[in-house]
Amino acid sequence: MMQKKRKKTKKQLETWALLLPILVIFIFFFLLPLFFLFITSFKTFDASSGIANEWTIQNYVKFLSDPFYLGIVWRTVKIALLTTIITIVISYPVAFHISKANGRIKNYLTLLVLSPLLISMVIRCYGWSILLSNNGVVNNTLMSLGWIDKPLTLLYTELSVVIGMVHVLFPYMVLSIMGSLERIDPSVIRASQNLGAGPVRTFFSIVLPLTLPGIFAGSVMVFSLSVSSFVTPAILGGPQVKVMSYLAYEQAAVLLNWPYGAAIGFLLIFIATITIIMYSKILVRSEKGVAIQ
Amino acid sequence: MSYLCLENLVKTFNKTEVVKKLNLEIKQGELVSFLGPSGCGKTTTLNMIAGFTEVDEGKIVVDGKPVHLLPPNKREMGMVFQNYALFPHMTVFDNVAYGLKLSKIGKSETQRRVLEALEMVRLSGYEKRYPKELSGGQQQRVSLARALVIKPKLLLLDEPLSNLDAKLRQEMREEIVEIQKNVGITTIFVTHDQEEALAISDRIAVMYEGRIEQADSPVSIYNHPKTDFVSRFIGEVNQIQGKVTEILGTHQSKLNFYGNEQIVAVNAMKNAEMDFFIRPENIQISLVETNDRNIGFKAKVERKMFLGAKTRYILKAQNKHLIADISNVVLNSNLIHEGSSVYAAWKPEHLLPSRNVR
Ligand SMILES: Nc1ncnc2c1ncn2[C@@H]1O[C@H](COP(=O)(O)OP(=O)(O)OP(=O)(O)O)[C@@H](O)[C@H]1O
Ligand SMILES: [Mg+2]
Repeated sequence: MMQKKRKKTKKQLETWALLLPILVIFIFFFLLPLFFLFITSFKTFDASSGIANEWTIQNYVKFLSDPFYLGIVWRTVKIALLTTIITIVISYPVAFHISKANGRIKNYLTLLVLSPLLISMVIRCYGWSILLSNNGVVNNTLMSLGWIDKPLTLLYTELSVVIGMVHVLFPYMVLSIMGSLERIDPSVIRASQNLGAGPVRTFFSIVLPLTLPGIFAGSVMVFSLSVSSFVTPAILGGPQVKVMSYLAYEQAAVLLNWPYGAAIGFLLIFIATITIIMYSKILVRSEKGVAIQ
Repeated sequence: MSYLCLENLVKTFNKTEVVKKLNLEIKQGELVSFLGPSGCGKTTTLNMIAGFTEVDEGKIVVDGKPVHLLPPNKREMGMVFQNYALFPHMTVFDNVAYGLKLSKIGKSETQRRVLEALEMVRLSGYEKRYPKELSGGQQQRVSLARALVIKPKLLLLDEPLSNLDAKLRQEMREEIVEIQKNVGITTIFVTHDQEEALAISDRIAVMYEGRIEQADSPVSIYNHPKTDFVSRFIGEVNQIQGKVTEILGTHQSKLNFYGNEQIVAVNAMKNAEMDFFIRPENIQISLVETNDRNIGFKAKVERKMFLGAKTRYILKAQNKHLIADISNVVLNSNLIHEGSSVYAAWKPEHLLPSRNVR
């Protein structure tokens, strides 16, 4: 009995020892700064020292009562939602085909899908800005084809931000959907056909519901990465398409108003969390049987 | 008139012929088992019938209509899979109703038939459960109900019981046969458990390397195997050799086994060596010499294994091993010890001639 207990504690000790490095990093470099940031967001701003020693909720009130800022919140969420939806739509067929391919072809295709992640975010964004600028490849091609007379404004719009974002983030979605597609037992598909369902019916009644967990996991990743992304909106949107992360950066790094920047940062985390929770609720309701693992 | 006809079926995977000109006819209402070693093409053949695997050559005719070019969803066959293959995101009710919803019968009729099917597999009251809330045996029952509720033309079962434990397997197989007989549905049952096949089948199709070696009733398969493979594969056999000493007429020869002569109903050539199979339970042993017709020869008991109702004796005679299974009711196993000298004998009609020509 005693021995058993000792054995158990030893095992637990080992587990904790293995977790220690990541725990240290998580606590000291993530939770603690976050905590300080939280404190900071309730301090007043002092032009000389940045953070003054007085408590206030003014930072939040100011942000949430100003239509300009609320507009930016809406834009941030809108861009992230659009990015998520578009990635789902374009990633699903890709994931479907890759998961059907076999052996070596599958490996190559997977590598191809992952390739955007191999290029630096900044370089990729500048690439897009070359393509989309007023005398960029897209506009020049369209004009030489005679389809348009004057260049379309593509760069520094919400559209260009979404395009850039989709390009970076769709590999996450593809991998996530592929994972859940591959977890489907092939005999379940056969059972559906056997019972009289054609390919379309089988897809909508069986395959799609069974991949919802993958779609969900991918959406959470893509949404949270895009709602908080900074580089892509900064380069492809610029000051014309301000999003919350850009605002937080501007306040903290340019205007040196740390408390206000911190408050914006916290609201961003809050909005992302709420959206994800709501999203999972909707998804779970629509498919009660599939557990979101 | 046969209900299902498999005519010269051929399937090739990566240039290897997995099913080689397979022929089989099944009558309406029959339960036929596909029995054979792993990799002999049972699943492939079943998948060709269900339409999951394309037929390379040959024809599949169901009820007079060729079906081998139809997609699986147009073949109206009910399949039960080894791993149940229930839809994990649907309740038991929705799983069973799936095929009916596609056939556009009314809602109340669907409900009635689903409940009826669940009652048939003794799962009434489980409608609202999800597959993961059921035991393996219950899941397989749902799967059976789901396949039968659409009233398919054929019921196809691919090792439906192999994921269940021994006791449950036996219960389930009896249940399946009972349901099959009640519904009267033509059924193919794939298994590599010969006891299962012997117990439940109207006929067994013994498969080997992509062909059907013999398709016959369990009794015929066991007592009159047509090929050496069937002899060896079904039940256990001893392989013995005899030398022909005298030809007594057509189908009547005298052979010498282990120094004793016996008249056997075979055609033979004088002085030829012939192979025979004999089942362990057809060998008798006694402590004294037996009568003349069941020739007795001297053997030594090398090992003795108590197996419950019977005892297995490993005998050695003229440097060859023989296995004999003797019922403990017939012979008290306490009388015979390892190392004892005994007389072994068999009746000539129990000898299964080998087709292997030397
Ligand atoms: N999709 C496939 N591609 C290539 N070879 C295959 C394929 N399916 C089956 N085979 C081969 O065909 C042969 C027969 O396979 P099959 O699954 O029909 O055997 P089985 O009789 O069902 O065996 P088991 O009792 O192990 O289930 C095997 O040698 C297998 O390797
Ligand atoms: Mg098989």
